[in-house]
Amino acid sequence: MEQMDQEKYIIRRLAALPGASIRIVLERLRNRSFLIPFSLIMAAVIIAALYITLALSDSSIEKAVRTIVTGLIWGGVYSLAALGIVVVYKSTRIFNMAHGGILLFLTYFAWWLMSPYDLPPWAALPILILAAAAFGLGLHWLFFKGMIGHDELKTFLATLMLGFTVLHGLTVLVFEGKQKYMPDFIPEPGFIEQGRINVIGSFNLNWELLVSFIVATCLFLIFVFYFRFTKSGLAMRCVSEDNVISQSLGINVKQIYAIAWIVGCITAAVGGILVSRYTAVYSDAGGMGTYVLVRALPIVLLGGLDSIAGAFTAALLIGLTEQLCSSYVNPHVDQFSSVLPYVLMVSVMIIRPQGLFGTRGIKRI
Amino acid sequence: MLPGGVFSEKYSSELAFVRTHTQWFWLAIVLIVYLVFIPWVATPYWLAQFTHLSITAIIVLGLHILFGLCGLISIGQAAFQAAGAYTLAILASRYDVNGWLCLPACILAGGIWGMLFGLPALRLKGFYLAIATLASFEITMWIIRYRSWDDVTGGFTGISLSKHPLTLGGIDFSQDTNMYLLAAVMVVIASFITLNIQRSNTGRIFVAIRDNELAAEVSGIGIYRNKLLAYFIGCSFAGLAGWLYGYSQQLVNPSQYNFADSIFYLGMIIIGGRGRILGVYLGVFFIGFMEILNNDYVTPWFVDHLPERWSNPAHVAFKLVLGGLGMVLFLKYVPSGLAGQWQQIKLWYRSRPYSFWRE
Repeated sequence: MEQMDQEKYIIRRLAALPGASIRIVLERLRNRSFLIPFSLIMAAVIIAALYITLALSDSSIEKAVRTIVTGLIWGGVYSLAALGIVVVYKSTRIFNMAHGGILLFLTYFAWWLMSPYDLPPWAALPILILAAAAFGLGLHWLFFKGMIGHDELKTFLATLMLGFTVLHGLTVLVFEGKQKYMPDFIPEPGFIEQGRINVIGSFNLNWELLVSFIVATCLFLIFVFYFRFTKSGLAMRCVSEDNVISQSLGINVKQIYAIAWIVGCITAAVGGILVSRYTAVYSDAGGMGTYVLVRALPIVLLGGLDSIAGAFTAALLIGLTEQLCSSYVNPHVDQFSSVLPYVLMVSVMIIRPQGLFGTRGIKRI
Repeated sequence: MLPGGVFSEKYSSELAFVRTHTQWFWLAIVLIVYLVFIPWVATPYWLAQFTHLSITAIIVLGLHILFGLCGLISIGQAAFQAAGAYTLAILASRYDVNGWLCLPACILAGGIWGMLFGLPALRLKGFYLAIATLASFEITMWIIRYRSWDDVTGGFTGISLSKHPLTLGGIDFSQDTNMYLLAAVMVVIASFITLNIQRSNTGRIFVAIRDNELAAEVSGIGIYRNKLLAYFIGCSFAGLAGWLYGYSQQLVNPSQYNFADSIFYLGMIIIGGRGRILGVYLGVFFIGFMEILNNDYVTPWFVDHLPERWSNPAHVAFKLVLGGLGMVLFLKYVPSGLAGQWQQIKLWYRSRPYSFWRE
């Protein structure tokens, strides 16, 4: 009799899981200690802004505002690339070094749809999203489905080789590997004059950059809500903790992996076309895939690999740092901003390896 | 599993590199072919290819200590090779130092530069360290290309070494055959050092760290110190390879060191078989020959038979796509590599007719 009760109790607990998820999430939010570093950073930003407005002359204020605004906006765009890596890592424990290669391939595909075939953006973008989803599914089926449960080092190597050799070579082979220019695909409303918005003095903000930032942020928020407040988001977090237990609880692990790869590829495609308006689509010297990947890596490391909110804050910080360096350090040290992401990567890893918001791992023998 | 009739009667026989008559026989054959037959027969083109393969083998031996034994991924081996090569070029051409005196400097430069990027190993492990070595590659390349230091590093054009040849008592190593022999002897020495490390205390510590870091630490092994040591040893091999590469090309130039090469070095370890020195040779040989085959036969065939639109990118892309696919498929389906497969075949042969039985 007692045993029956116990079984019933367990079944009831399991049935309550989806309802319990919101409560668990709220509890976790309350317990998290990210408020301290977050408020410190915000305080530093506010103090810097005050210092800049009070202490500098007019033209340097303009320069500073331009740098800070552009930096924050670029940070938002980079956050999308970092999101792709974090989503895949958070649900499959695969560190996706192939993100750059995927981004390169899909951006070339977008250019191919829009430029030689002259498809209008409203037709090309859905096709691109579908193609990205199919690409993610293909990667999952071909390579990563059979690697579920393999150790992190092995999957890391697989994605590394896939991204930097196979996908890069494939892009060069299929799309000839020449430098291309992405056609204008962001619509301009009537009140914008020549794609610019005047902010301060002679500093005009690029409308496309602003749209990119908004799109990236919206996508980012959508994924955050998806992760925190939906059943399959909870299932994803569950799978990343332990895929054997998740499977035995009735979660379809393969399906979760597939969803993660699809989401990763879609963020890569969107991030790629947003960035490509500024950098052109190119594949030599690592290509724009590597350009975006190496900016995403310090973001991911600084934000902590398993924290999505951390990734966004870190993205803003990294974007800001990059722009500050390119307008204040580059005149003195040639091309410093191109090496900055790498320097940041190494210094983050030496100084604070778990990132600003990541959780410290517990080791077991 | 040893073949029948081979017993370990002393500790020294347990530690010996070569244990049976058959092994002595094959070792002698390989050494004769490698050191005598190839330089005697090969045409200049093949001699250059074999020199290149030998230099690659030295880098991969270093990576074998780093990744195969200690489990630390390095995707910046090309950078550490560049560190060695630039040390040589700057010392030899700017300060007129003798090439043989540059050798220890190059080895030290490669090792110390590698150790610097191993510093995050204090609190990190796994792929984080690999990302640090990725950064090492780009930072090294940035330093080499930095415009204000062009008069030291030579910028994009690099430094020519043709006015500072390497000589030893009348032997001029800028000749093809002599260069090949130098590289081959270096491979033999490097292999000997690697084997010695592998059977020494240090090598066993590395293997313990690879297999279970926490358990190794609990057994009283200084993890951080030994990881840095692994970085130092592995990258100093790359420094040595840089020294050789500088002299074999007579030129040191930033475009010689590519990121994709570092990934192919890792792929050689994976295809050959991780953790075995036989795997290093098999991997280098396999990928090296596939590359030559691809460059000389496969790509030209496609270029001739395909429309012009495909022929231009094929030169770059075929190597990347085919090589990369090979590496990923080996990683997924044959994780023990060629050396592991060879071990399986030997096991099958030795336990015949009970080959189905496994321990």
